[in-house]
Amino acid sequence: MKIGVIILQILFIHVFLFLGAALKEIVALPIPASMFGLFLLFLALCLHIIKLEWIEKGANWLLAELLLFFVPSAVGIVNYDEIISFQGAEIVVLIGVSTVMVMGMTALIAEKVTKRKGSEQL
Amino acid sequence: MMMVLCILGTYLIYRLSKKIYGKWPFPLFHHLLLAPTLLIVAISVMHVSANQYLDATKWLTHMLGPATVAFAVPIYKHLPTVKKYLGTIIISTITGSLVAIFSTFALSKIIHLKYDFMTSILPRSITTPFAIEVSKEIGGLPTLTTVFVILTGVIGGVVGPSVIKWLSIQTPIAKGLALGMGAHGAGTNKALEYGEQEATFSSLAMIFAAFITLLLGALLIPAMI
Repeated sequence: MKIGVIILQILFIHVFLFLGAALKEIVALPIPASMFGLFLLFLALCLHIIKLEWIEKGANWLLAELLLFFVPSAVGIVNYDEIISFQGAEIVVLIGVSTVMVMGMTALIAEKVTKRKGSEQL
Repeated sequence: MMMVLCILGTYLIYRLSKKIYGKWPFPLFHHLLLAPTLLIVAISVMHVSANQYLDATKWLTHMLGPATVAFAVPIYKHLPTVKKYLGTIIISTITGSLVAIFSTFALSKIIHLKYDFMTSILPRSITTPFAIEVSKEIGGLPTLTTVFVILTGVIGGVVGPSVIKWLSIQTPIAKGLALGMGAHGAGTNKALEYGEQEATFSSLAMIFAAFITLLLGALLIPAMI
């Protein structure tokens, strides 16, 4: 029963994906169809064209299982194994250093802006 | 038959990996590393080639499309928070996205990364469905991008709490934005350990970072590389 609802709602979410693909044909911007779909769904929710209940269970399932959907692509790495093992360690260091910089800068900026805006927030 | 077997196998191994990581939360046991590793072992034991496997599981990968569309739901639900903190969210995620792209670019120059590796690694800081689109746009390889995004998530989940501690970050908004900006979904997962507010800001940072990087991917990156 619950699975049926989730499947139906995911099919309904596909309608927005297809509408997004159609919109991409008209608007010549390098933006993926799924992103147009996201905007259309968001708009439809804001304008109360569709109700949150119609898609909420399906959307929650998709987002909860998001990690599952890129497991197959990660398996595809075996097609590149010799190059990865060659520079793998350097790449891991690169990602680590860069991620520390990204998180540090983002946190400092956000903290500064929040504190300047006034301490009543949060 | 092959399709059912591969999809079911992937699902079961993914569930199992999640359970193992839940029990022993050691970075190398992260289900995003463990599941692909176990699957690679499984398909090589069963003499299934990687391309056969990828073809059989294309329906799972296809779900990234509707999953991207589904991000409209959390944005809609958090609309009051987005409106209230829009300025802070935008300033922080623009800064974070620029730092992500430029530092990744500079570091990949230092280690002399091959051109198609570099274009694949630039969008690594955002969630996979978006990163793949940016990667395709700038000439990267989607599979490599997926792997770099996963590595970023796993590494970000490990270093995130230390960064927050070193810089003595106090506000939930800054903690959440940093985790979501730096480590997308994995960061948001980590943010849940801090609290509901941190997780909300983390998922918002993840979405805003995806939008911003998508724009930068279309405008800035082609001029840079």
